[in-house]
Amino acid sequence: MNPTLPYNDAQTVTLAIIAVVLPFAAFVVNFLLLGKSKASGWVSTLAILASKVLAANVFFKVWDNHTIHAQQVWFTIGATKVQAGILLNNLSVLMLLLVSVIALPVHIYSTAYMKDDEGYSRYFRYLSLFCFSMLALVVVDNLILLYAFWEVVGFSSYLLIGFWFTRESAIMANKKAFIMNRIGDIGLLIAILILFVQYRTFDIEQIFGNKGSIVNSVITNGQWISRLGSVPALWQYIAVGGIFLAVAAKSAQFPLHTWLPDAMEGPTSVSALIHAATMVAAGVFLLGRFYPMFNGTELTILAIIGCFTAFMAATIALTQNDLKRILAYSTISQLGFMVMAMGVGAYSSSLFHLATHAFFKCLLFLVAGIVIHQMKHIKDDNNLDIDPQNILHMGGLRKKLPLTFIAALIGGLALVGLPLTSGYLSKDGILIQAFDWSDGKADILKLVPYVALFTSWLTAFYVARLIVKVFFGDFRLQKMNPQIHIHMGDGGWQYKVPLVFLAICCLFPVFSYSPVFYEDAWLNKGFAKVNFLARENMYHYIIPVLVNVLSVVVMYGAYVVYVKRNSWSFPQTGLLFRISFNEWYIDTFYNRVIVRFVMWLSYASYWFDRKVIDGLVNLVEKIGIALAGIAAWFDKHIVDGFLHLIADIVHGIGGFARRFQGGKIQYYLYSMLLVLVTVFILKLIWT
Amino acid sequence: MINLNDFMLVSVVLFCIGLFIIVSKKNAIMILIGIELMLNAAILNLVAFGKYDRINNGGQMFALFAIVLAAATTAVALAIILNVYRRYKTINPDKINQLKD
Repeated sequence: MNPTLPYNDAQTVTLAIIAVVLPFAAFVVNFLLLGKSKASGWVSTLAILASKVLAANVFFKVWDNHTIHAQQVWFTIGATKVQAGILLNNLSVLMLLLVSVIALPVHIYSTAYMKDDEGYSRYFRYLSLFCFSMLALVVVDNLILLYAFWEVVGFSSYLLIGFWFTRESAIMANKKAFIMNRIGDIGLLIAILILFVQYRTFDIEQIFGNKGSIVNSVITNGQWISRLGSVPALWQYIAVGGIFLAVAAKSAQFPLHTWLPDAMEGPTSVSALIHAATMVAAGVFLLGRFYPMFNGTELTILAIIGCFTAFMAATIALTQNDLKRILAYSTISQLGFMVMAMGVGAYSSSLFHLATHAFFKCLLFLVAGIVIHQMKHIKDDNNLDIDPQNILHMGGLRKKLPLTFIAALIGGLALVGLPLTSGYLSKDGILIQAFDWSDGKADILKLVPYVALFTSWLTAFYVARLIVKVFFGDFRLQKMNPQIHIHMGDGGWQYKVPLVFLAICCLFPVFSYSPVFYEDAWLNKGFAKVNFLARENMYHYIIPVLVNVLSVVVMYGAYVVYVKRNSWSFPQTGLLFRISFNEWYIDTFYNRVIVRFVMWLSYASYWFDRKVIDGLVNLVEKIGIALAGIAAWFDKHIVDGFLHLIADIVHGIGGFARRFQGGKIQYYLYSMLLVLVTVFILKLIWT
Repeated sequence: MINLNDFMLVSVVLFCIGLFIIVSKKNAIMILIGIELMLNAAILNLVAFGKYDRINNGGQMFALFAIVLAAATTAVALAIILNVYRRYKTINPDKINQLKD
């Protein structure tokens, strides 16, 4: 460690490193030692428990105290020394704690949820790797390491989404997630390279810190000027664009959001982790780390895209029938809120929302997991041909799964953002600051907070629809098949303890002693960039009231519509319904245009490869064969022929000559006579 | 008057008969007889040409000499034939071909 650090800080850094490495150690132990043993689940769980304890320790030492930055030289290229180390500031310790706290209940839950799965130990290996990569991602101080762990997060999520790799749909989903994330990775890589060229360092603290290079660089006259030189401002825009791509891919923002709903193919507990604290949080975390990089216009674009994503995903969530898909779109919608909050300058509220969202979304997914598990049992017991995730089959489960129902209710209310829940504190903070931000902006930008407001009512509606359809009314499956045999319950303590823990974390006291005013939340005070804490105008009173009153009305409306179905129902055929139900046709569009174009391109390349390049090679080969054939023919017929001719001549002469030596004495006489006669005849002729 | 041509004619006929016997007979004794005939043709020539010799009766002398020589060679040849017969149980020269490749 860095010897200049005080003893306490060095200790804190060591604790943080141990906290990060423990899940990796669990991964290695599971991988090398345990094989298919059921102990792997408890090894991973214990590792993450220890991580959590250490992370909490680190958190309380660093939070609101001072930044700890320890590093040492990793390698040197030319004159550039690349340092690797640990950067513990408010943001990273918050994430460190959040990730480990969310991961722990998920691990406990998984030990029961995956109990009967064949890939039990493989699952925990991947899960530990996933947690390790995320924990490492949040504490590293170096862009190269950041990029590396960013990739490992993507890779381990790929493994987990495609966990049931025998299913075709899971393979498609993890491929899609991976490819979408690659697009973002390219953006991040480009951004990192541009930053290095401009600032000659990979050190996050040196670039983005309070006294860092970003603060001291400006854009004037189309030049991006830093202490080390200047480049055209275009490069700054490209770098920011790359970062945005990375954020959009990991945090599922429009237009790269389509992988997230498909990522539901993984086990539900993985979905909980991906949606709550690890995968999608990485994007917002990156935005938090790179925040000083963005200038005013870029932030506005960020706000617009976040707002649009939130609105779009909420409208899609209204009509979906797959339990996990609804939750997936609600995640996209909430991530849209976070990105929008970053865009409007509500830095702390965005991270606050990230934290609260992590708890209630994790809770909702665990609830969904229990419900799906029970539905699947019913399906398997009765040999029904149903989709266990379809909410149209459910209903009236509140009596059968009482604890699950209460947990779902708390999580749902937090997602809607009603008072007394944590969601209220964070979401209203975002909305209020969005209104503050839009004051004095152009008219079109004034639309942003209103759309966000509308989106939060939509959220209220789809949450109410989800909860009503699943937990209220009659059990529709039983109604359709009255003979089926049902026994279901909340499950063992591995299910109950995580639910209770997460449900408590969804309530306001965890984050603030005041249930109403978001400004009092300790999390908001931890980030120095906050300047919206003063109640400077009426928005701070109107917005929460407006949001909540209307939300309650909307939820009651949904309750009335879906429980007492005889009143009035929504049309299922209109244009808006079809747009929403088909997810805005974005996937269809991608499949029709981009995928088809890429496929066409690859077929064309394939054709080119087959016909032209292979053809060329084949042609050369054919020419070679032909030349060789000619050479062989020449060799055989001319060269060999000549030799054979000589041999044949010699043979012929020999054959001819040996005829005279037949072993018959009288033949010798004949030949002698012949010669003599010939000589005499010739002599006669010539004379 | 018998002149040289008549002697020559008889000699040629003798020689040709001897030659024919040599090339056609399959019996070593007969071949030996053929050789003797040819030799006699030559001796006849020697006697006939002796008429023109400056030394008197030189041809006859040579003829006598040759006849003695012929008798000697014939004895040797018969001895060889006898040995050949012992070895090969035949005196057909076509069958005696062990030197053939």
